[in-house]
Amino acid sequence: MADTRPFLPVSSSDGSIPSEPLANRRKPMKVQLSIFFGLLTVGLLAALLTSNNGSDFVTDNEHGPLVSSTTATTKPETLQAVSRGPAAGVSEKSNRLFADENTVAFPWNNSMLSWQRTAFHFQPERNWMNDPNGPLFYKGWYHFFYQYNPHAPVWGDIVWGHAVSKDLIHWLHLPLAMVADHTYDKSGVWTGSATFLPDGKIVMLYTGSNADAVQVQNLAYPADHSDPLLINWVKYSGNPVLVPPPGILSKDFRDPTTAWLTSEGKWRFSIGSKINKTGVALVYDTKDFINYEKLDGLLRAVDGTGMWECVDFFPVSKTEENGLDTSVNNPDVKHVMKVSLDDDRHDYYAVGTYNEKNVTFIPDDPEIDVGIGLRYDYGVYYAAKTFYDQNKNRRVLWGWIGESDSEAADLQKGWASVQSIPRTVLLDKKTGTHLLQWPVEEIDSLRLNSYEFNQVTIQAGSVVPLEVGPATQLDIMAEFEIDKEALEKATGSNVTFSCSSSGGAIERGALGPFGLLVLADDSLSERTPVYFYIAKGSDGNLKTFFCNDQSRSSVAPDVKKQIYGSMVPVLKGENLSLRVLVDHSIIESFAQGGRTVITSRTYPTKAIYGAAKLFLFNNATEAGVSASLKIWQMNSAFIRPYPNLDNKSQ
Amino acid sequence: MTKIISLLVLQVLFCFTFFPLSYSSNSLVETTCKQTPFFDLCVSTLESDPQSSTAAVSGLALIAAKSVNAKASATLYQISTLLGSATDPNLKKALSGCVDSYNTIIKTDIPVAVEAIEKNNPKFAVGSATDAGNEAQRCEDGFGGKSPNSPISDSNKMVHDLSVILQSIASLLL
Repeated sequence: MADTRPFLPVSSSDGSIPSEPLANRRKPMKVQLSIFFGLLTVGLLAALLTSNNGSDFVTDNEHGPLVSSTTATTKPETLQAVSRGPAAGVSEKSNRLFADENTVAFPWNNSMLSWQRTAFHFQPERNWMNDPNGPLFYKGWYHFFYQYNPHAPVWGDIVWGHAVSKDLIHWLHLPLAMVADHTYDKSGVWTGSATFLPDGKIVMLYTGSNADAVQVQNLAYPADHSDPLLINWVKYSGNPVLVPPPGILSKDFRDPTTAWLTSEGKWRFSIGSKINKTGVALVYDTKDFINYEKLDGLLRAVDGTGMWECVDFFPVSKTEENGLDTSVNNPDVKHVMKVSLDDDRHDYYAVGTYNEKNVTFIPDDPEIDVGIGLRYDYGVYYAAKTFYDQNKNRRVLWGWIGESDSEAADLQKGWASVQSIPRTVLLDKKTGTHLLQWPVEEIDSLRLNSYEFNQVTIQAGSVVPLEVGPATQLDIMAEFEIDKEALEKATGSNVTFSCSSSGGAIERGALGPFGLLVLADDSLSERTPVYFYIAKGSDGNLKTFFCNDQSRSSVAPDVKKQIYGSMVPVLKGENLSLRVLVDHSIIESFAQGGRTVITSRTYPTKAIYGAAKLFLFNNATEAGVSASLKIWQMNSAFIRPYPNLDNKSQ
Repeated sequence: MTKIISLLVLQVLFCFTFFPLSYSSNSLVETTCKQTPFFDLCVSTLESDPQSSTAAVSGLALIAAKSVNAKASATLYQISTLLGSATDPNLKKALSGCVDSYNTIIKTDIPVAVEAIEKNNPKFAVGSATDAGNEAQRCEDGFGGKSPNSPISDSNKMVHDLSVILQSIASLLL
């Protein structure tokens, strides 16, 4: 007889599919009766405990405690990071399929799907995009290249897309920069980085997956350096310039970084790889980008982190609030090494010291070494890459934001992926351990009318609607103050908190959660909480967490429902501050000036267009919170093809 | 009596001759399948393809992808046949949803997985395999436990489990 239960993941101890049914035996009457009553009790309990959807929050500033819905019996497990050991990962992996997507496909209609397209985030007109490539500023234009599938809204047939902008916000699409037209990139024109030569010329080093699917490095450069739009690119006739070295597998050799000058006048750069399960950064020197010398040392290696994709390596000033050219190296700088981990699809960075002579990068704190410590972004964010913007003397960061819905929905809507708003990157001088990321200031040019709210009180267990008009394109700046008495009086405990393993915004603590409900409908049946949670240890010390809860972001079951976030350092005297960019299906949230950042993709079915609203909420049990906010409506960036391109001489 | 004993001896000899042989061959298949939650299904699926005895892990991943495709195609045929003769509106609705799910698996998920494995960018194969398993689940859940029950549970479970196997093997390539 067919098994009609949902396909429960099989535990690792039972590697086989269920086979023959148990032999039928006549059970004694007693046992049958007790089984029957047992089931009845369970059924009754289940009926009692199942929540009615939507009324988890009390609305309109009522003072009653929030009704927290108990977890429905079919709540999926929160997705944990893939473990680094293969054996331990087996049952996790079988759970992964259904950890955060379940039940029926949602009947997405065109109205819901077309709402999802962003108004001011970079995305091509259609189809699939992934990694940012070779960003640079040249002759008055910011250039952005990207991994692109011209044929479908899923990964494949990868080539380089291209767009330009005067201000990193208003983008104009250009023709494809490079396609897979040589044996050395036949299987894919993959990620690469640009380097400026002293005479101002550009060289692009990129990975080609060649006709045999071997990863090689190729050189390309603009066909015409006098063309400010850099439309045409030429590939060096002697490509590939680098092939996988001995000891490195042909499938583990990709994503060369921007090069930096050594004191000997050579160019140096890194390529990520792995040796068994140890992620490594290989180092090469070159004088001409044609002949290369592989250095013996590894810039850094960290056990158990797996393949290092999209390595990025750059200096940050210890004293100044501007960016530094990639070649800068002196006692006033620290270096940052960043990697994208293939194993868990997250971007990690570490702050440390670069020694040119020894060819080493030593992190300041080995406990938070490359790949095991801080992340750029605790949500959906990968393959990030920085460039030095010589136009405004800043270091600018790009990051790929994939979809969190089903491939079927991507096929239906005809596109997949956006880029984050470019962010400036600075060393956080106050902590010394974190980087500060902040949307580039040019985004302020999109601000339209604003709404100010001063010292709004949100009692423990309440929700306050914010009247801001349409709530799908917003720039929100907020500061929160929590009741000081409550902070002192709260009892500490040893229980460790983490956003991802918590019950989300409905799990009440003494001092949190509190924050914003973004993309929420009036009845709050759909909402995305972006919030703080303060945990008090048994030693009285306070730890602040910053989270984004997707679990009730949409009634559609076929979208990811994880809770993202991390601890955020809050220093003495600092208020809790938050900036949130809401742009249809993407939410970018910055806590404490960008010390901790979370990007998420949200696909509401009801909280769309005019029905999307914004609320403040405070689900703490013991503390009142007051919030001051300034909120702007955001204009579209009108990203579109470059006009009249055919008239330009090519 | 002696006949029985000699039969037994023959039996034992038979086992000891052939058992170690089958035990030692295809150890890459077995090591690989141990890292999936469906060991027996994985082994039988991979070994049904003669190439599995000489394939590397990426080759085994491709065999796994082919098996998902084959089972999904057969299931799609099954669904179309059922749809042709169905009269119950709930059944028809669920079966139509399944057509969509299986089209996604066959036309998108598997081709993306194959390309990702062949071009050595396995994380996209992991993602697509996950998606394929989800689509099989979605198809099954479309029958919602209401009457009539799903007529294709076995097939959906098979496609789901084969997708999990593909996902697990592709993860080994990361």
